[in-house]
Amino acid sequence: MPARPAPHSSAPQRTADSGLTKATARRRNPQAFAALVGLVTVGLLAAGCTSTGGNEPVGEPTSGGTLTYASGDAEPSCLDPHVGGNFPQALISAQYLESLVSRNTEGQITPWLAESWTVSDDGLIWEFTLRDDVSFTDGTELNAAAVQANIAHLKDPTTLSSTGYLALGKVTGTEALSPTVVRFTLSEPDSALLESLSQPWLAIESPTALERSQDENCASPVGTGPFIVETWVKQNAVTLVRNDDYVSPPEDAGHTGPAYLDKIIWRFIPDSASRYAAVQSGEVDVIDNAQPDTIVQATQSDSIEHLDSPRPGSSNRIELNSGQVPFNDVRVREAFIRSANVDDAVSSLFHSTATRSFSALSSVESAAVSNAALFDYDPAAARELLDAAGWTETDADGYRVRDGVRLTVMFPVSTNQSIPAEQSVFEQIQATAKETGFDVQLAPMDLSSWYAALASNDYDAVSAPYTKVGPDVLRILYHSDSIVPAPSGYFANLAQVDDPEIDDLLTAASRTSDAAERASLYTDAQNRILEGFYILPLYDQQNHFLLRSDVVGFRTLPTVAVPTFYDAWLNR
Amino acid sequence: MLGRIAARLAGAVFVLWAVASVTFCAVRLVPGDPAQAVLGGPGSQASPEALAVVRAEYGFDQPVLVQYFAQLGRLATGDLGQSYALNTAVGPLVLSQLGGTLLLAVLALALAWVFALALATWSTRGGKIASSVGSGLEIVAAALPHFWLATSLIVVFSIWLGVLPPISTDGVAGLVLPVLTLAVPLAGFLGQIMRESLLVALESPFVLSARARGESERGVRWIHALRHASLPAISLSGWAFGSLISGAVVVETIFARPGLGRTLLNAVTLRDVPVVIGVVMIVAVTYILMTLLTDIASRLVDPRLRLI
Repeated sequence: MPARPAPHSSAPQRTADSGLTKATARRRNPQAFAALVGLVTVGLLAAGCTSTGGNEPVGEPTSGGTLTYASGDAEPSCLDPHVGGNFPQALISAQYLESLVSRNTEGQITPWLAESWTVSDDGLIWEFTLRDDVSFTDGTELNAAAVQANIAHLKDPTTLSSTGYLALGKVTGTEALSPTVVRFTLSEPDSALLESLSQPWLAIESPTALERSQDENCASPVGTGPFIVETWVKQNAVTLVRNDDYVSPPEDAGHTGPAYLDKIIWRFIPDSASRYAAVQSGEVDVIDNAQPDTIVQATQSDSIEHLDSPRPGSSNRIELNSGQVPFNDVRVREAFIRSANVDDAVSSLFHSTATRSFSALSSVESAAVSNAALFDYDPAAARELLDAAGWTETDADGYRVRDGVRLTVMFPVSTNQSIPAEQSVFEQIQATAKETGFDVQLAPMDLSSWYAALASNDYDAVSAPYTKVGPDVLRILYHSDSIVPAPSGYFANLAQVDDPEIDDLLTAASRTSDAAERASLYTDAQNRILEGFYILPLYDQQNHFLLRSDVVGFRTLPTVAVPTFYDAWLNR
Repeated sequence: MLGRIAARLAGAVFVLWAVASVTFCAVRLVPGDPAQAVLGGPGSQASPEALAVVRAEYGFDQPVLVQYFAQLGRLATGDLGQSYALNTAVGPLVLSQLGGTLLLAVLALALAWVFALALATWSTRGGKIASSVGSGLEIVAAALPHFWLATSLIVVFSIWLGVLPPISTDGVAGLVLPVLTLAVPLAGFLGQIMRESLLVALESPFVLSARARGESERGVRWIHALRHASLPAISLSGWAFGSLISGAVVVETIFARPGLGRTLLNAVTLRDVPVVIGVVMIVAVTYILMTLLTDIASRLVDPRLRLI
């Protein structure tokens, strides 16, 4: 699903495979609100920011203590990420659920609940050998039947799974070959299967717990993870307690055995300024969705540290709708890209907290191809391209005109999904593109209206990131099949790239079992996408955490960059 | 008397019906498929099978009019329905959030009255300067937007002074800043009205006659004049209570407090129609009750009204 950086107020998130978004809107004028809060916080907070001494040397980890986490994302309506499947669910469920496989920082798939696996030559039969020493926290044993029950749960329409359901599209059946070996049968080869299975939305839950009603399972899903859901007071907090019998950390974890923390209080604080004030005052220990202004302040404070962990999948980029005038002409697309001064906008508005991207993929994806030369700011070249494309006249307002029609770019902006800094970047792009003769019409709208605008093809440019593990996200975003709307009207190929050569490359990449061939196919596909000027990359999907300096051992999982507190301890 | 009560009850039922209908239409008129809301939001890539399950379960496949009357029928029997997004019954959900918001609103209203009374009595006694200062303070307070005030209070009391938590906590400390945020602008409104009517009352013949009887200045102000001055403010308190509930949307979001305001905000974003209607109905009921209470209070304070 399309995933979005967390907005100032609450965070709508589109997650990996599904287009789910949960968001809370702010009041009538979010921009004015953000601006005012910004003024207040930047002015007053900066003045109030004081250093509290240098970092203490870190000793041996000590067990115990309660950590408070504050999420800016919306509170999930269900703590079981099989149901729906969005980013807020992934954030919290990574503390109590685990997947069959994981991924390391090099992008390689590593064992987790499955200790090994094999695939047949035709790529249609996968066999996973499970660890035989793992139990769920309700005492149920992890075995092949448990995995089967989870796949069945994800594929059952009454589970209402979107993300997990899509990821298992090619899996037709499962079979328990022995208590520890489970076989997946596929309808066609899927080179992204392991990457899909590593995502939190496909975590393995206790089959005993899954048999309860959905309401019960949503309130307290049962997994094999280092923490256990104890209570959930809706609209207030989820309390997680340590799993003392924990045995299954992933390979890249910092220790073995149970977690150090006794307890995690997981809160939801939608307002960015309040969230930062809460970590500043020590009321909470870790916050997510830190905004550029608060990150800058935090870097001046000794008591708060910053962790930047870009999400996998796509970069944040502006997609140009190549399915209709004016961007059905590659020269006009290139002209728009050349006329947009992105570098200055990003550096001035993100205060160096974001790095410019020149790729369709996130920088954490090893398959990412980056080509800065294609995205140079060059208004003179842009004007020549517009001349060549027939947009030769200029009207009284300075906009280019062809056959009496003004060169207009409709740009719907989701105020839920684009943080205030990003909306300001769009405004600067609007201003620089105007100098070349583009009339960019930014239309801020709430999430439902935004999706409606996309579904009715009422857009020329749009920004809609998508979180997924691995380069297969390219197939979702740029294969012509993805122009066909889902029953909801949603479609992922918003640039409406319809290029048989790209289709062939992406299809071949998703079917090959040869890693080198797969990488080369994705490279070719990305080059063709970038050279077709379908997208204007901006930066990675921003995912910033701020934490008290006495929280040690905090990191994110290299799968979808959600936090894990397994190694974390309090140095107090 | 019975006729008056019947008329009031009929009025209340009409208001509730109107509120339910307008809310139903408003939420339905905005783009977005309620089945999507159930399945995790408007961008959901829900499968056709899942959508079909949801549509049948919630009756979205029925014509809108059928859904409307079904909704009204359920409301008439006191059933607020099932939340699309939260998988829970709306009644218990809304009631569980009501307490926090009511507490906030009642405390804010009480504090606003204290501020307004203090300001009005002081500024009408202290001569020209006090009067100007008082009226200036009232105008500034009344004009303060909740979100600005909330953020400023957090900066001052949580960041600089470090004496109060910036987010809601279990104890009383977490209530102070949210209550202040709601009370200060309201005190501005109430104070303005009280001061003006206090000035009018102090010029009235009955005050002169009280003074002539030898009533002390304190007695004149607190027993005679204030009684008159408080009437408009009491009437205004009914409206103020409603505005406090809407202010709670902002305040609960900023201070991360559980409550009706946050519930409403989330529900609107997710197009969770039953929750929106549930919250609005509950707010309408409390508003009606509040208006009733202010009527009674006015009668207690003003004997003239008891004759009508």
